[in-house]
Amino acid sequence: MTTTTLTERYLYAVGRSVPEAQRTEVARELRERIEDEVDALIEAGHAPADAERTALTRLGDPLVVAAGYVDRPLLLIGPRYFPMWWRLLKLLAAIVLPIAAAGVLIGQLVSGAAIGAAIGTTVATAIQIAVNLGFWTTLVFAVLERTTRDHDLTTTWSPDQLPDVPEPQRSNRLSELIGSLVFLGVFAALLVAQQFGLVWLADVGVAPVLNPELWSFWLPYFLALIALEVLFAVAVYASGWNWWLVAAKLVLNIAFTVPALWLLLTGQLLSAEVLEALRWPWGQAGPIVLTVIVVATIGVAVWDVIDGAIKTVRATRPRSGAPA
Amino acid sequence: MAGDDLTGGHQQELRRGTVVLACLIRLRTPDYGYALLESLNALGIIVDANTLYPLLRRLEKQGLLTSEWNTAEARPRKFYRTSADGERLAAVLAADWQLIDRALTRLTEGDER
Repeated sequence: MTTTTLTERYLYAVGRSVPEAQRTEVARELRERIEDEVDALIEAGHAPADAERTALTRLGDPLVVAAGYVDRPLLLIGPRYFPMWWRLLKLLAAIVLPIAAAGVLIGQLVSGAAIGAAIGTTVATAIQIAVNLGFWTTLVFAVLERTTRDHDLTTTWSPDQLPDVPEPQRSNRLSELIGSLVFLGVFAALLVAQQFGLVWLADVGVAPVLNPELWSFWLPYFLALIALEVLFAVAVYASGWNWWLVAAKLVLNIAFTVPALWLLLTGQLLSAEVLEALRWPWGQAGPIVLTVIVVATIGVAVWDVIDGAIKTVRATRPRSGAPA
Repeated sequence: MAGDDLTGGHQQELRRGTVVLACLIRLRTPDYGYALLESLNALGIIVDANTLYPLLRRLEKQGLLTSEWNTAEARPRKFYRTSADGERLAAVLAADWQLIDRALTRLTEGDER
């Protein structure tokens, strides 16, 4: 026979999910409630043990009761953020997954892996990336759900609480911000992780992918740039695009693209092990591949700035009122 | 005729706000949760314990009720009492309730002016 009653176990279960400061008070209130109800049930003809069980059953799941005490949401992502979360998740999956999978597959094939092994690694990596995308995106929104609270429904809302300027772009900007942060986070993680080898470059083993000498200056420099990009993404989210931010984007992209391409073209970017695994240089194909990479990199950087400029023009142009 | 679930759902919705008003009026004399529950139910204001207890906490948090632990008896109980703010709210809610009642009466009697 157990010495602790069901009530004690119930109070313990609730107390565990309530901050320590509130625990005593919550337990005291619940004990009063449970005991009063048990007494009433016994008076109505229940056996004592049965009365306790019935009272606790009516009270319901301790986790729900505890959440009621501390105003904890009983959902991961509520209706405020669900549509944004869902849209972003689909967008990220549609963009990042195919690019990453293609990259891994090409990397595998180039480094001479058998087609079967290459596909296997590609699928495995794609699943890993998909899980990561889902997890980190969901985590960000779950944190948002818990940190940004709507006002209590009982406080009165007044038009004074409306933002000064209606901003239909705001929710787009939030998903842009989260997209940027996830991308920059993955990029920074890759920059560090490559030191220990990357799974899809199996031939290289645990050797660093990038030239380890770059740690003396260039890799910290790129990591610092990523930190600046994070600040930049937050600034875009906070104030929307404007010409100062376009200029900042231009500077950031130059600061990134020029050294990266210079390192690549002077052969300092990749480690000796990787160059060997790739069997670089590839005869006549080498210069072509390099040209494609350079053009693509510059193209992406330029488009990035143009995209910002377009958004700035759109934001500063007065919105048309009536439909045409 | 609507099903019982449907009727029950609408009744619950209609009663929801009136429980707050009933609590604010009833707790002009301090009382604890279970006694309040019983007296409301005896009056025909049917409210579930899982609704009432969290409601009392919320009203207290909003400053509409004050509370005090009574340890004079064998079992310590938390006694709630309507605060000055709660009184003001009760007056407003009661006036509203009467307005709605009058409006519904006029609607029912076909005098819609």
